[in-house]
Amino acid sequence: MSAINAEPLRRDIEHRARADARHDLIFRLLLRLCALLVLATLLGAALSTLWGGRDVLFKDGFHFLFSSDWNPVEDQYGALAPIVGTLVTSLIALVLAVPVSFGIALFLTEIAPSWMRGPVATAIELLAGIPSIIYGMWGLFVFVPFMASIEPWMNDTLGNIPLIGQLFQGPPLGLGLLTAGVVLAVMILPFISSVMREVFQTVPARLKESSYALGSTKWEVVWDIVLPYTRSAVIGGIFLGLGRALGETMAVTFVLGNSYNITSSLLMPGTSISSSIANEFNEAVGLHRSALIALGFLLFVVTFIVLLIARLMLRQLARREGR
Amino acid sequence: MSVIYVRRHITNIVALALSGVATLIGLIFLVWILWITAENGFSAISGSLFTKITAYADQGGLSNAIAGSLIMDLMALLICAPIGVLAGTYLAEYASSTKLGASIRFLNDILLSAPSIVLGLFVYVIIVLPMSNLTNGAISFSGFAGSVALALIGLPVIVRTTDEMLQLVPGTLREAALSLGIPQWKLTMQVLMRAAFSGILTGILLALARLAGETAPLLFTAFGNNFMTLHPLDKMASMPVTIYQYTNDPNPALHAIAWAGALLITLFVLALSLLTRIMFSRKKVSYE
Amino acid sequence: MNDLAAATAAPLTGAATPPKIKVRDVHFYYNGYHALKGIDMDIPEKQVTAIIGPSGCGKSTLLRIFNRIYAIYPKLEAKGSIELDGENILDKDYSMNRLRTKVGMVFQKPVPFPMTIHENVAYGIRHHEKLSRADLEIRVEQALRSAALWDEVKDKLKQSALGLSGGQQQRLCIARGIALRPEVLLLDEPTSALDPIATGRIEQLVEELKHEYTIVIVTHNMQQAARCSDRTAFMYLGELIEFDNTEKIFTKPGKKQTEDYITGRFG
Repeated sequence: MSAINAEPLRRDIEHRARADARHDLIFRLLLRLCALLVLATLLGAALSTLWGGRDVLFKDGFHFLFSSDWNPVEDQYGALAPIVGTLVTSLIALVLAVPVSFGIALFLTEIAPSWMRGPVATAIELLAGIPSIIYGMWGLFVFVPFMASIEPWMNDTLGNIPLIGQLFQGPPLGLGLLTAGVVLAVMILPFISSVMREVFQTVPARLKESSYALGSTKWEVVWDIVLPYTRSAVIGGIFLGLGRALGETMAVTFVLGNSYNITSSLLMPGTSISSSIANEFNEAVGLHRSALIALGFLLFVVTFIVLLIARLMLRQLARREGR
Repeated sequence: MSVIYVRRHITNIVALALSGVATLIGLIFLVWILWITAENGFSAISGSLFTKITAYADQGGLSNAIAGSLIMDLMALLICAPIGVLAGTYLAEYASSTKLGASIRFLNDILLSAPSIVLGLFVYVIIVLPMSNLTNGAISFSGFAGSVALALIGLPVIVRTTDEMLQLVPGTLREAALSLGIPQWKLTMQVLMRAAFSGILTGILLALARLAGETAPLLFTAFGNNFMTLHPLDKMASMPVTIYQYTNDPNPALHAIAWAGALLITLFVLALSLLTRIMFSRKKVSYE
Repeated sequence: MNDLAAATAAPLTGAATPPKIKVRDVHFYYNGYHALKGIDMDIPEKQVTAIIGPSGCGKSTLLRIFNRIYAIYPKLEAKGSIELDGENILDKDYSMNRLRTKVGMVFQKPVPFPMTIHENVAYGIRHHEKLSRADLEIRVEQALRSAALWDEVKDKLKQSALGLSGGQQQRLCIARGIALRPEVLLLDEPTSALDPIATGRIEQLVEELKHEYTIVIVTHNMQQAARCSDRTAFMYLGELIEFDNTEKIFTKPGKKQTEDYITGRFG
């Protein structure tokens, strides 16, 4: 290359280098802006619901949380019944879903022949793909009558057990907290079981093998080696399921019964935060609407905390794995 | 010794049997729900479902709801796909080891399972209310607001898959492009995106499967409409919301239509998620 | 250590042609680990310089400083000076774009872009120069011919480069590099992922290319260094032990360590 055209060429190169640097900077800022939108969504959801619910929160303060009096006619709003309903249905869902999910994960990682694992795992995960409105319809038209048919039997058997007996007493409506809890349990099954299955697979083979070598049974290996090794992630998976259950709307709205009475029986109708919002929002005005948005704020904060715990627990195992 | 041995083995057999039962329970519910949906849905599917609007109630169909859902799902994708892909790219290419990147990745995972009804309220407060105030109530609920709410459901799915798929692209590809003096933005948009294309596309389809079945975020954003409208600022009908309203109605003829709609949505969503599963398993990233 | 002190005073050279790259007291750190400890060497123009040594000796690290590709990762730091045609490329003011058009690189594993064969070669040119379509075609053909690939791909330029064999992909990567008309070509173990026949073709290609380019090749394969390089540098534990004519290194090495390595009595 001759010296004569080397110099303008070099100027060209440096000119282009500056342009490239400028474009890189703009691109980087654009990308960062998009990434920050994720933060903005979370923050915005919290702030906007807090703002929308300010009327009732300022008026009633903590009384809003602890009053069970929800009466749109007199413009009185206490959130206790929806809060209790949300917690009770989610708790029922966990009590039912955790052991079943554990069983599924155990079956799919340790017991099932390998040709069966893929298809069965896919089938279980398809449960997570079914839209929640379908769960709601199935719940209302099929599962509620089913529950109504077995509730008299529950009254006679479970209802007579001391202490927990009164949880299972009541008219056989089919609707109610228990039914909603069962539907939620089915919905969160795939989430919990897939986390468990994934983390069970991360247990080093040598750990399991050394236990088998000592003559342990499969169950003992899972209970004494696999479960302790993956404990934090398993709890994370359970909290992930809890987060789902707390926020679920359409699956429970039809089968809860929309009642603001707080009762001791799981067979009685109730309400939850999300179903109160779904049922009443479009007819609500003024303070009523503000109360519903405040409920949304509450739900968001609680699920955020639950999901935060879930992710932190899940991350612990990932860290140990050196990922 | 032998008593302990026998007890241990009985415990083992019982536990293993119960885990099989648990799996069976899961499968029974899957089959039960799908069977009921198919049984009720197929018997209610008819031509008028696709040609008549919901204004005719039990004499009508779902054409406006189908159109509304298609429009809003598509608009939602148009909003969340570019933003999500760029945000995921930021996480993978620019912030894989920074604190900001780690916290956004972490919070994105939380957004992934945040309650969708709250995202609906969020959009109600930031879009529906201000629009209504600005136009003196002429425009309030709208297909546009519904799309934004659905976009927020799809966003974290796309962010996460894009992030993961780009991280699977081998670093040598970046080095090769940079050693040719290709600037980072070109490398990202023209080389890495192409290498991870099928993975990113899978993420977008996954997001579509997620948001197409959502009802709660649409209740107070798109609302509903008994007539056909293609205008994004009108109240807009959608499949899930129509199904919700029909299910709440005492008229059994409407229940039948709701089941038909439920079947359509379920088939659409499950077909999408099966498709993405096949795409995922076949190849994580087209570049090997 | 005394040898090294001597080396610092008088850089290991002995080149027949003038040096294209002058490496002076180069140190390299990653995450605080001292990976290169004061390298001095003169790389002659239009010759093939091979760098050999056991894995972890720093040979690839050194090569990756020559086009500053290491700079895309955080926490990596190079000190000292590397003069390319008399200008220090480690200088902050030295434009990365300019450096990368003057110095091309080919990596261990063939990494074609997920594009057509034609696009792979044209992509870099198009970024750096505004050429007419006809000129571009000429440049692509020239590059592919120089990389001895033209005859094999001329009928399928519009097909994906991912469909080529490993050896063809690697020659495509070389074509992609020389399409920018660099002055220096860095080859980082370019044949380690290839079969013997493909390796032979690359080595033959290196032989042809050295008439136009200054070539630095890192290899773990001593026979390869002996076959296709003019000068060979032996590195060990982040230090340059010996740098001399290839023939001398492989027949009468000056240092005990070099001899041990060459004769396979290492470790």
